[in-house]
Amino acid sequence: MKHSEKRFDHWIFKSFTVTADGLGLLRIFTSLFILFFLIPGQGSSHFVFLSEMPDDFFAPPPGPMMLLHGFPAYAVFQILHTVLLFSLAGMLAGYYTKLASVIAGISILLLQGLIFSIGKVNHEILIAVVPIVMAFSNWGAAFSVDSTRKGFSHEVHSWPLSLLALLIGFMMFTAGFPKILGGWLDPATQAAQGHMFNQFFVRERDALLAAWFVNFDNIVFWELLDWATVLFEVGFMVAVLSGKWFKWFLCLAVLFHFSTMMMLNIAFLPNFLVYAVFLNWTEIYDSNLRLYRRITGKKGEKSKKRSVWVLSGVLLILFSFLSYVSSKELYLTGSDLMLHEVVVVSVAFLIVFILASLTLSQVISRFDIIKPGSSQESPK
Amino acid sequence: MSKQTVKKFFIAVLIWLPIQYGIVGIIGFYHSEPWPAFVFPGFKNVYVYEGGFEIAQTRFEVFTVDSEEPMILQPRELFPEIPLSQVPGFMRTHFSDSAGIESFTPQTVRWLERQAALMAGGELVSMDVVSLMEFYSIADLGAVRDSVKELQRTTISFASR
Repeated sequence: MKHSEKRFDHWIFKSFTVTADGLGLLRIFTSLFILFFLIPGQGSSHFVFLSEMPDDFFAPPPGPMMLLHGFPAYAVFQILHTVLLFSLAGMLAGYYTKLASVIAGISILLLQGLIFSIGKVNHEILIAVVPIVMAFSNWGAAFSVDSTRKGFSHEVHSWPLSLLALLIGFMMFTAGFPKILGGWLDPATQAAQGHMFNQFFVRERDALLAAWFVNFDNIVFWELLDWATVLFEVGFMVAVLSGKWFKWFLCLAVLFHFSTMMMLNIAFLPNFLVYAVFLNWTEIYDSNLRLYRRITGKKGEKSKKRSVWVLSGVLLILFSFLSYVSSKELYLTGSDLMLHEVVVVSVAFLIVFILASLTLSQVISRFDIIKPGSSQESPK
Repeated sequence: MSKQTVKKFFIAVLIWLPIQYGIVGIIGFYHSEPWPAFVFPGFKNVYVYEGGFEIAQTRFEVFTVDSEEPMILQPRELFPEIPLSQVPGFMRTHFSDSAGIESFTPQTVRWLERQAALMAGGELVSMDVVSLMEFYSIADLGAVRDSVKELQRTTISFASR
């Protein structure tokens, strides 16, 4: 095998490490996250609205939706929505996991296609791509109905993560490249500031720190932001070549989205679904198991599954509470930013901040920069 | 899937991604952005003019039998069910040129009248779709709107139906 072929193989199959337990936990998290926060549309009233829209307003984007000549009846939306809910439930339980994941992805795509046919495409395809691609990792190998079947293969694959990394990297590149052509790097213009004004005044995105930033007229800051944005987005494509680099860029992505949310009130929650795929789920599973065993004192084989059921229950309660409070619109009224988006993005930011701090402290201690007792010795 | 199949699939994806990006660019230039596609929004526009910036706006002015003054509605008020992220695109697609608005079918006009009635109430006479260009200057205390230019006004009559 040639060296380049070996590297190609390594990139596809060895960039990321997965285990059945970790993937099982990821599957449960993904199913719940989509169920509570990322179902396309804003509930049944949105589907009623679309189904009653006149055909003059049916403007499908170039693609498969052009096969239709108008918005379908409400029943079609209901059917798609029901299929999506059942397939997500199947995915959550690990019941015919691969099929359920693929159907969930396709249902999401179809619903998105109809919603985007009013003349505006949103870039949320990754919500559908994650279950479809991860279906091929065999993420139903643990904590699932499938895993109890005789003859079911428990072999898991990491290449779907490499594929998702490639897609994210490329999509980020498609966000950065037009900015170079559009003049973002021209020191005479501050593009990010212009977008800030546009979002603030036209789209009335004035929540969180938006008002403060709109009045922050520092050319150096805004120009640096222009350059940092372009370098970050274009650089993502290069980061795909290494699993380690890619994870560092994911950390930057979380910081980027957090700052975008604070300034422009754009949370881009769908991206967090796919970023979460690259968390160390095996470590999360192990930590959760240790915690469960410490609390309950039970150390048997059954504790493995039970620890996951407990964590799933906690996620279910947290997500349903957050989703409920968010739907009440008690906070962020008049903004298209939802409370759950702010919470999820902020939590992701906190996680990255903590992980980065821990890594930094490890690096510092490795290089022995901090010498215990040095402050006492220094006067001598 | 065997390792060989996966490798072939990756090669196909690596070839396909730049091709689809090219297709998205070409179709997007002549028509509108295709979907589904593996792209993120570029936000390539740079909103800048001398000492400030300009922003295009569209609003609706609803005239009722009861009042001489129109009720001014923002797009998000007339179409509350459309997510805010989609409103500018929806407005650009359907309300940017007079010819398009004037060619609305009676069914569409009735639907718009129902939407407007939800906000304005009373008996509606007509609704103007007004395209504006707002000019903002950067002052010490932030951005200040210093002028507004009306670019286009198209009337949708409800009474003549």
